Formats: sequence, C-alpha cells, structure tokens
Amino acid sequence: MKSMMKNMTLCLLGAVLISGVAMAADRTPAPANAYLYVGWPNDGEVLPANRPFRVWFGLRNMGVAPKGANVPNTGHHHLLIDTDLPPLDQEIPSDRNHIHFGAGQTETTIELPPGTHTLQLLMGDYNHVPHDPPVYSKKITVYVR
Amino acid sequence: MLIRTVAIVALLAVSGVVAFAADAQRTPAPKDAKVYIIWPPDGAVIRGGKLWVRMGLRNAGVAPKGVCLPNTGHHHLLIDTDLPPFDQEIPSDRQHLHFGGGQTEARLEDLPPGKHTLQLLLADCNHVPHDPPLYSEKITITVPPY
Repeated sequence: MKSMMKNMTLCLLGAVLISGVAMAADRTPAPANAYLYVGWPNDGEVLPANRPFRVWFGLRNMGVAPKGANVPNTGHHHLLIDTDLPPLDQEIPSDRNHIHFGAGQTETTIELPPGTHTLQLLMGDYNHVPHDPPVYSKKITVYVR
Repeated sequence: MLIRTVAIVALLAVSGVVAFAADAQRTPAPKDAKVYIIWPPDGAVIRGGKLWVRMGLRNAGVAPKGVCLPNTGHHHLLIDTDLPPFDQEIPSDRQHLHFGGGQTEARLEDLPPGKHTLQLLLADCNHVPHDPPLYSEKITITVPPY
C-alpha cells in the first residue's frame, strides 16, 4: 500500500512536471523578423484633451488573427496604456491598462485624461499569451493637454 | 416505390435549394466597416518603386483565410487593375495580392517606373468579397524613372 502510494505520488509528480514543462514550452513561436510598432500617434505627440484619438497598430512580417484562431505566424493586438510589459509567459491581463483586440482589430480610438501617458503594443497568441520570442513595440509617450 | 422516388426527388430539390442558397450567400459586411489605405497617400511619389503599403480597416477585424468569423475578413491589394466581380473568389495573380496570413502591411519591391494604381478589397474566409463589398478608394502613385 505504501509503495503504491509512493508510485502514485511519483506518477503525479511526473505528470505535474511534464505538464509544467509542456506549458512553458507551449508558447507560440513568432517569426524572428516580426516587427510591431505604434503607427499613430508618434512618440512625443501632443494630443488635445477631451478628444478621442485613433491609435493604429503597425505589424510587419506577421499576421493578425482573432482570439481562438490558431494560425501559424499570427496573433492579436493588445494595447498597454500607462503600464509596463506584463509577464511574458502567461495570459495578458485584461483591464483598463491592457486592452485586448481579440476580434482582429488593427486600430482603435481611445480618450485619455490630461497628462503624460505611455502606449505600447504587445501581440498575444490565440490564447492571449505572448509569443516566443515576444513581439512588442517600443513604448511611446504622448502628452494630452 | 413511388413514395421512395418522391422522397428522393424532394430531397434532391431541397439540397438543390440549399446549394443555391449557399452559392448566393455572401458574407454580410460588418456594419460601418471601412477599408482604406493608410499609406501611401494618393499622389505619392515613390522613388525606387519599393514601399510598404499599410492596409487600414475600421470597425471590423482581420482574420486569416479559412478562419470564418463574423465581422472579419482579410486584405487583398489590387495593383493596376479594376475591382473584380464581387460574387466570386478574388483572382490570385500579380495584380491581385492576397494577404490570407492576416497581414496588415504589404511590401512591394518591383513596381516599374510610371503611374500605378493601388486599391484594397476585403474578402471573407473564402476570398469572396462581402455583401456589400468593402473596398478602399483607388489611389495613384508614381514611380519616377530610376
């Protein structure tokens, strides 16, 4: 009985280990030359307050696919507002600072309160997890006045 | 026996109708969607004939070919040609570039000197334009003599 328990524990441990390894290895590969950038606004742009502005998502050497669509060399856009990059080995959070574009959108319109703000794009795969290597843009700063 | 024949005929008729309906059933266009060329602007002069065309889509999403989801499509870039028929697959040749990988930018490298037109046409997962079709303005760019 004791040895059976031990075996089971070992089995369980093995399963956990394997699934852990599989999860870590399971990140979707991205093309090495994929290039993500904020097409508009420009870094340092001064934007008028109380006026929504367009943000467009520039992506080269890679394609866009909505969430759930597992197609090689694709992902969907996430716009990070006033925040740093999240952990790159798990699902990108979904909140006011991490906007998901799971319908395959390639631009959006946002409005920000007066002040200094940062914008950065991060691609997520069909499960919202960043690719390996991760594909993210330069973080730009805009001034809303 | 007769009943069986009637049943088969009825079945054939129904399947015929269904097949016809499928034929006529173009993917509805996402409401308020707009396809446009972000860059280059109409009238641009492109030295060397090499450029990235940035493909813009508003109020709809991009999905690769074969991924059939509502309110999505993929880009096609028409070069020096008019819009093709809307009720069939967009041709695939040097004048009709497909971006079935969900690309949103197109690299052009071999535009010879002269005037060229560019136009975008969105199509559904089967490469057939939406109903109503979603296409951009047709712009003209000039490649000066090398």
